[in-house]
Amino acid sequence: MKRVLLLIGSVLSFGLLVALIPYSSSQLQSSIASVPQPLAVDPVVLRSLQIQYKGLKKQLAQFAPHQHYILVDTARNHLYIKRSQEIVLDAIASTGSGVVLDKPGEGNTQWVFDTPRGEFTVQSKLTHPAWVKPDWAFIEEGLMVPKNPADRVEQGVLGDYALGFGKGYFIHGTLYTRLLGKNVTHGCIRLNDDDLKSVYQLARVGTPIMIF
Amino acid sequence: MLAMLVSIVLSVLLLFPVPGWAAEGEVFPDLDINDPVALQEGSRVLEEELKLAARAQTYLLIDLVSGVIQIKARGVDLHRLPIAAWTVTELPRLTGTFRLTARPPVVRRKIDPSATTEQEPISLSDMPTEYRLSFTPAMTMDVESAAEQGAMGWIHTTSRKAWNQLRIWRQHLGGVQSSSEAPTLNITLSSEQAQSLAWSTVDGMPVVIRRPLEP
Repeated sequence: MKRVLLLIGSVLSFGLLVALIPYSSSQLQSSIASVPQPLAVDPVVLRSLQIQYKGLKKQLAQFAPHQHYILVDTARNHLYIKRSQEIVLDAIASTGSGVVLDKPGEGNTQWVFDTPRGEFTVQSKLTHPAWVKPDWAFIEEGLMVPKNPADRVEQGVLGDYALGFGKGYFIHGTLYTRLLGKNVTHGCIRLNDDDLKSVYQLARVGTPIMIF
Repeated sequence: MLAMLVSIVLSVLLLFPVPGWAAEGEVFPDLDINDPVALQEGSRVLEEELKLAARAQTYLLIDLVSGVIQIKARGVDLHRLPIAAWTVTELPRLTGTFRLTARPPVVRRKIDPSATTEQEPISLSDMPTEYRLSFTPAMTMDVESAAEQGAMGWIHTTSRKAWNQLRIWRQHLGGVQSSSEAPTLNITLSSEQAQSLAWSTVDGMPVVIRRPLEP
């Protein structure tokens, strides 16, 4: 009797192991202990739930930008201007390279050349911007950082316009249009001249910039 | 003898899968407004989203009903990553907002000022296709790629799935309401989408999960 029971147990255990393997999300599985169970469809309760749900949807919709907003896909190097669900502009961009540079004399600290992800706003709009080169621009080329601030200023490399979105990051033009579509910048977002002009015209100070 | 009988009964029970969570086939938020349970879950998710949308940030909505991960800000859908398959333990505990605490490391190339050649930038293809994301409150999300993998990869993935399945069944049979184990979400994406998710996540990023409900 014992042997028979052991044999049955072994067969069932083997079956269990086989059954484990082909699980997929078509057999979505989980403990259901405390997941809300279906309610009896009381029309009053249902109506109340519908009102609550619609109210929440409406509240959430109010957070969405009602004017143009800028959307930046850093993985695919595209900048979009959208209004509601409509794409007003689809531009090829260049965003952060993700490489790092050691800060000399500061131990193990580094500059990380990423385009920041998250939500920002246009904080400034500039025409004919000059580039005030930060320390890393000299260090990465093996040059000494100048003591005279005037030696940091470089004209004509950022295009005709620049839109600042905080912490020194800008949407600006580029001399290196062949690199558009690639992750090559120090964190800023580069566009060609025509797209930059469109962005400058459509965006205003306060326009949301969503970057992912 | 009694133990042997219990073992057999348990084995028989384990052979039958627990009730599945069938996808509802609807696109959130256009859920069936005549389904009170779907409405409750939809409202719960919206309440979480309202808190997140009020702040200047991006967040993830993992919609297990529609089978899609959405990158969102201000309630606006910025980007969608279709989910190929998923499994989960402790589904009832996937409520509230989780915040990302650990993500896969990225091998960053370093600029050498003395070098004559420029360092190659990081691109999407440098991102991993299989990795773990950890969150607080405690929750882990294992992301794997739907792309073909080698024999070792298959063994690893299958073993992990089998282990998760055993935990699910144990909870189900034991009638466990709330165990001390952290929920684990196992998500399968295409290789590109897995890399895209790794690229887009940032430290502290909030995540909300829309759970499928009993059909």
